[in-house]
Amino acid sequence: MKQIENIPDCGILLFKSCLVSVEYPGIESSTTYVFDKLGIDYLVSDEQSCCTGLGYYFDLFDQMSTTAVAARNFAIARKNGYNNITPMCSTCYAINKEACALLNSNDEVRSNINSVFKQAGLDDLIYEQNSLDEVDNFYHVVELFLSKAKQIGKLNTIDFSGVRVAAHHACHYYKIQSDDMIGNPNHPLLIDTIAKSCGADVVEWYEDKTLTCGAGFSQIHVNRDLSLKVTHAKLESLKEAGVELVLHMCPNCQIQYDRYQPVIEKEYGTKYDFVHMNIGQFVALALGADPEKVCGFQTHSVPLDGFLERIGVSF
Amino acid sequence: MTYVISETLSEYDTPICDTLAETVKKSLRTSDTIGIDRCLQCGACTSSCPAARFTDYNPRTMIKRVMENDMSVIEDETIWNCFYCYTCHLRCPRNNSPTQVVQVLRQMAINKGIGLDRLKVLLEYGDTFAELGVSKIPDLYVGQMEDDFDRRWHEFKNNLDAVRSELGLGPVAVRDSGRGEIRAILEGIGLFERQEKLKQMVESESDTVDKKGQITDEAN
Repeated sequence: MKQIENIPDCGILLFKSCLVSVEYPGIESSTTYVFDKLGIDYLVSDEQSCCTGLGYYFDLFDQMSTTAVAARNFAIARKNGYNNITPMCSTCYAINKEACALLNSNDEVRSNINSVFKQAGLDDLIYEQNSLDEVDNFYHVVELFLSKAKQIGKLNTIDFSGVRVAAHHACHYYKIQSDDMIGNPNHPLLIDTIAKSCGADVVEWYEDKTLTCGAGFSQIHVNRDLSLKVTHAKLESLKEAGVELVLHMCPNCQIQYDRYQPVIEKEYGTKYDFVHMNIGQFVALALGADPEKVCGFQTHSVPLDGFLERIGVSF
Repeated sequence: MTYVISETLSEYDTPICDTLAETVKKSLRTSDTIGIDRCLQCGACTSSCPAARFTDYNPRTMIKRVMENDMSVIEDETIWNCFYCYTCHLRCPRNNSPTQVVQVLRQMAINKGIGLDRLKVLLEYGDTFAELGVSKIPDLYVGQMEDDFDRRWHEFKNNLDAVRSELGLGPVAVRDSGRGEIRAILEGIGLFERQEKLKQMVESESDTVDKKGQITDEAN
């Protein structure tokens, strides 16, 4: 089981995400801003590909293809000596962890993929059994922040007292490999703890805290009404709790809340008075980052101007 | 639905076995320790399932039908309501995973030509991935997002490169070493072969629909 005191702060491969890159690029710039401030030793590689998670959960990619793409990314991590694969997206986290477990435990999968590498003349990509460990080499960025929560609290420049904050912990971080999450999967508190270290007034429980965001990969596109029903239920639950800020740890969830909140307001004839941001954007802001040039809040659909003004940040 | 294939599109995701439960257990998409045989029919999955909350999808009865080798479960439209949120996977006291089982059932449905409507908009995904190394939301879905989202999103999307550059971020696409690595890997592992078979199935399905249309016309 993963222990908070064992979370590494060096050899981190900050694993890029397709949805962060094209929907909320400020999540990546905020994360590297925080890593720099905290002295975390990390690498962002322009050779690393996306994890195929969307294709996999759209029912298109098969497990072997997804695992082969993961093995290539693992080779990039090893080649550079940055073996702690650390995504900003919960699906990248779960997909990579699962691929590593398969490569270590299933001889047929490993040899099949390695023979594809050999035949393509890509011998440097070959995966040696147990060259990465599916528990000790895979982290989510939120775990690194949690391990540095005290330091973050000390460096915090913003008075968050009285700001009602709630967290949405991403399903694929704590429900898939629940033994390897930090804390209790029935009541995840990673984001809550980080927000508290910055002095925020955290709402630990709200009715639908563990309900999925509703994106459901293809569901938002193919079963749009069903998808929005789930998101609406969650937003109602957050409204009931009287929160002002909802913190996220996955770009897919953030799209579902931030981009679809105005859509739901229109279609359901309701109004929500809260804004959304990723935990990386929150910590960067707390540590003094520029809301536009680092946090990239201008890319959000729910405007943050009013909220930022309320906490004394000019935007 | 008239299109039926006897072979599997992936011997690893949907191995051909004597029973549904065996296929589920041997599939690479499910955990080695999956507790389908240990299911107590307690309903913890259904009571925590977001799809069950709003639709007729019922993971408890879905699992029961798989255990009883009821092949009609593959054709049950409600299996397409699962969100893959893994709440059932977390809540199950017997280490069963209805969400993993549904992934296998959907692949078995696809083998039979069911659910191709969903897949046909995704058939360029593999090529885009091979070329750029990133997942791209299919154009049809992006069109829907364009309709749904307001000007803030449109402005941002039109200026994505400039925004990324201001944030100090490089290009979205992967830098390839010149070896065409991702394409070579996907080719070797058989993804394009799978994609080609799916394309043929989609085309064959639309032919069938066309023929039916013609017959109807003639009958009229």
